[in-house]
Amino acid sequence: MTVENKITIGIADMKMAKDSGMLITYALGSCIGICLYDQRIKLAAMVHIMLPLNMEPGRKNTFKYADTGLRETLRLMESKGASRARITAKIAGGAKMFELSGGNLGNIGQRNIESVHLNLKKEGIQLLKEDVGGSVARTLLFDPATGLGCVRCYGRKELII
Amino acid sequence: MNIKNYNELSSLELDTLKEIGSIGTGNAATSLSSLIGKPVRIQQPEVRIMGYNEAIEWIGGPEEITAGVLVGMSNQLSGIMLSVQQLDFVKLVAESMLNEQVESYEQIRDMERSALTEVGNIMISTFINALTGLAGIDIDLSVPAFTVDMQGAIMAVPMAMYGGQSDYIMTIGGDFVCNGKQIPCRLLLSPDIRSLNFLLRKLGVDSGE
Repeated sequence: MTVENKITIGIADMKMAKDSGMLITYALGSCIGICLYDQRIKLAAMVHIMLPLNMEPGRKNTFKYADTGLRETLRLMESKGASRARITAKIAGGAKMFELSGGNLGNIGQRNIESVHLNLKKEGIQLLKEDVGGSVARTLLFDPATGLGCVRCYGRKELII
Repeated sequence: MNIKNYNELSSLELDTLKEIGSIGTGNAATSLSSLIGKPVRIQQPEVRIMGYNEAIEWIGGPEEITAGVLVGMSNQLSGIMLSVQQLDFVKLVAESMLNEQVESYEQIRDMERSALTEVGNIMISTFINALTGLAGIDIDLSVPAFTVDMQGAIMAVPMAMYGGQSDYIMTIGGDFVCNGKQIPCRLLLSPDIRSLNFLLRKLGVDSGE
């Protein structure tokens, strides 16, 4: 997949693109990249969430969390003319980077995957494709022109989602 | 008064942490030196408090591949310690301990993996030993874990752990110099906020009281 007009999404960040450009977020470990897309108007959004649930007082940092990140992105997409019924999702990430025994670390990646699934269901968004779990970092690209995503990993072939 | 976020640290507290970094990294360098049989010096260690995306730029771009050893800390201090081993460091260890030439990360197999994990583990343990001695606290360490992958995702491990508490990440650590060449082995100590307050209190630099 060629990359021109890159639009980079950082950690705990969200950006949208319409018709053209390439949304990209780098090195998803336990984090998850969520691509939301309205095919009819070719409006795409990508969120890079880090944690499953927003429990901060005041609930700032909307895009850091799966629940508030998803809800806020959908709201912004709708304000740009997207229709909830047409929006579909593709996700990647949620890996476990280190295999620690005895783990007080827990598996944040797995909890992120579960939270994204749950919240997509709650918001009534259909999940078309995903590449999640395992122990590899992923870079996620999404093309608003075609609605295709691409996952890049170390030591693995590119995967179109 | 306890701090609630890493960016609230005073300059006295930062200096204290820098000193810990200095002593810890110095001890780690000594153990590295005896493992590889070459003199190793350290550069002035730094304490950095960074936003997520800033931290990833600092370490050299998110998609850059690197090796990393991670050890979990528990008991009186909880958090994690990371040894980020870039290619020059991998080459150095393979050459001096296994007598092998390694040119890329693809060449890391079981033997190299095991050597790098152990080197990382020993360096982290000596760093922590120095810290426990200095502060008079007990820290338990987990078995080390090793991975080779994008460094952005490796750095995101401490971020995700404390993401619910802070928008910043604190790292204490420094580079090594071996044979006149700078070896970018970064030892990063990331305590959680509660542990950081406890540590500062133990060292007698609690700002509020």
